[in-house]
Amino acid sequence: MKEEILRVFSFYFFLGRKSGRTRTFFLLSSMAVLMALVIRTYRLAGHWTEDGQVVFQNFLMVFFLQFLIVLLGLFYGSSIVVEELDNRTLPYLTSRPVRRAAIILGKYLAYLSLTTVMLVFAVLLSYLILNLDAEFQAKDLLTVLRYSAILWLGLAAYLSFFSFLGTWLKKPILVGLAFGFGWESVIQYFPGTTQKLSVAHYLKSLLPQYTSSSGKLGFLFIRLEPTKPALAVAILAGIILVFLVLACLFFTYKEYLFED
Amino acid sequence: MSAVIEARNLSRWYGNVLGISEITLDIEPGITALLGPNGAGKSTFMKIITGQLKANIGQVRIFGQPVWNNRHIFRRLGFCPESDAFYEELNGLEFLTGLLSLYGYDRKECLDRANRALELVELKDVSRRPIRSYSRGMRQRIKIAQTIAHDPEILILDEPLSGLDPLGKRRIIRLIKEFRDAGKTVVVSSHVLPEVEALTSEIILIHNGKILARGDIHFIRELLDSHPHMIRVKSPQYRELARLLAAEEYVLNITFEPEASAVVFETHHRDRFFNRLNELVLDPGLDLEEITSPDDNLQAVFDYLVGR
Repeated sequence: MKEEILRVFSFYFFLGRKSGRTRTFFLLSSMAVLMALVIRTYRLAGHWTEDGQVVFQNFLMVFFLQFLIVLLGLFYGSSIVVEELDNRTLPYLTSRPVRRAAIILGKYLAYLSLTTVMLVFAVLLSYLILNLDAEFQAKDLLTVLRYSAILWLGLAAYLSFFSFLGTWLKKPILVGLAFGFGWESVIQYFPGTTQKLSVAHYLKSLLPQYTSSSGKLGFLFIRLEPTKPALAVAILAGIILVFLVLACLFFTYKEYLFED
Repeated sequence: MSAVIEARNLSRWYGNVLGISEITLDIEPGITALLGPNGAGKSTFMKIITGQLKANIGQVRIFGQPVWNNRHIFRRLGFCPESDAFYEELNGLEFLTGLLSLYGYDRKECLDRANRALELVELKDVSRRPIRSYSRGMRQRIKIAQTIAHDPEILILDEPLSGLDPLGKRRIIRLIKEFRDAGKTVVVSSHVLPEVEALTSEIILIHNGKILARGDIHFIRELLDSHPHMIRVKSPQYRELARLLAAEEYVLNITFEPEASAVVFETHHRDRFFNRLNELVLDPGLDLEEITSPDDNLQAVFDYLVGR
C-alpha cells in the first residue's frame, strides 16, 4: 500500500507542479507577501506606526487562517476526485494496479505538499518582511515556525475534509464554500460547545495570545472558549484521519459516472 | 480455447435508462468486435469489464477472477477509453511515463516502455510536445499507446479508430492485428461496419443493451443483406428513371420526392440495382445528379433487424 501511495504521490506532485492551478494559487498566496511589502514601505516612510508583530498577527488570523488555508483546502481537496471526473481522466487511474485508497492518499499527500510550499513560503516571507529589523531575534523565528506548523495542521485538516466532500458529492465546491466561509466563520461567534464544531476553533485554540481581544481584529476572538492545546492538536489529527478514511472508503466502494 | 473474459447475465441501468441487459458471453483470445450504433451499450459493457462500473445484476470475470477493484487484473489489462481526455499539461512522454510509474516500474523501465509504445504508434518524434497541441488523430494514438505500454494480455479498446485519418486507421488496425498474432485478447468497439470488417471476422452485434447476434462476419453480412436498402437518386428525369426501374423484380418500392426532383427506391439486391442503374445512365443517357443511401447507417440496419 505504501509503495502504491508513493507512486500516485510522485505522479500527482509532478502533474501539480506543471498545472496552471498551482501557479494561480501560488500567486494568490503571494498576496500576503505583496501586502507585507506595501506595509513595510509605508512604515519606512513613517506612515504606519503599528508594530510588525501585530500586523502579522492580523495577517495570520484573517488572511492565512480564515481565507488561504480554507481556500487551498477546498480547491485542492475537493478536486482529488472531481477533477478526474470533469476532465474524464478517471479511467486512466482506476484501470491501474493501485488500490483506490492509495489513489486518494497519494493525491492527498501530493496536494498537501504543494499547498504547504505555497503556505510556508507566504507565511515566512511576509513575517520576515514585516519584522526583520535590528530587534529581530532567533526566538521570533521559532514563533513564526510555530505559526506555520499550526496553519499546516489546519491546511491538512481542511484538505482532508474537502477530500471527503469531493468523493461524496458531485459538486462539492458550493457546499465547501458554504462550509469554509459560512459555517466556519459564523460558528465562532456562538458561545459554549457549538463553536467546537469547526476546524477554526481548534486552530485558534493553539494561538493562546489571541484569546483576549488584542489587535485590530481582536473582536473576532471575544467569544473564543479555547480547547486545551494538546486536545486541540489531537482533535485536528483526528479530523484529518477520520475524513481521510471516509474519503478512501467512499472512493473504494462508490462508482463514479461522467455527466452524460 | 478457454474464455478469458466471462460475462454472465450482465445488466446495468442508469436510473431509468437501460445500459445493457442480460448480456452473457465468453470472449476468447483474438480480436472480438462489438458492433452497434451509438448508445447501444458497447461502452457500458466495456466499462463493466474493465472495472470502471459495477453491474446491477450479473457478474464478470477475467482469468476467472472478479474485476471490480482487482488490481491484479488491472496489471494484465489495458483500457483505451472512448473519451478524448488527457492530462493536458503533460507531453506525450510524460503522460506515458507517469501512467507507467503507477505499475511500479523504475524510471528507466518507464522510459523504455514509453518510448517503445510511442514508436509503435509512431509518435516518437512528437513525444516532447504538449498533448494539448496534438491533433485528434495523435491524441487517439497516444491513448492507444497508454493502453499497450505495459504490455497487457487483454486490450479493451473503446472506439479506437474514431478520429483517425485513413492512414492512421490502417496503422492502428495493423497494430491490433499484431497483438492478436501475439496471442492476446483484444476487444474493440465500433459503430462503423467497414472498420470492424477490417479488424476481425468475430463480431458481436449489440443494440439497445442486448446482444442481437454473434458470429462470423459473413453471417452478419447475410443478416444485413436481407435488409431492403433505400437508394435515393436525384435526376431531372426522375420519373422516367422510376418507370424504367419499376419493371425490375428486385425493386420493392418507389417513392417520389417531386420538390427535390428525386426518387427513392427500395431494393433487397443492391448490386443488381446498381448494375441496372449504370446501364440506364449509359444507354438511354439519363442524367443523375446525386445518389445517396438514406438508411446506409448502422442504426437503420439495426432498427430493421429488431423489427422496428
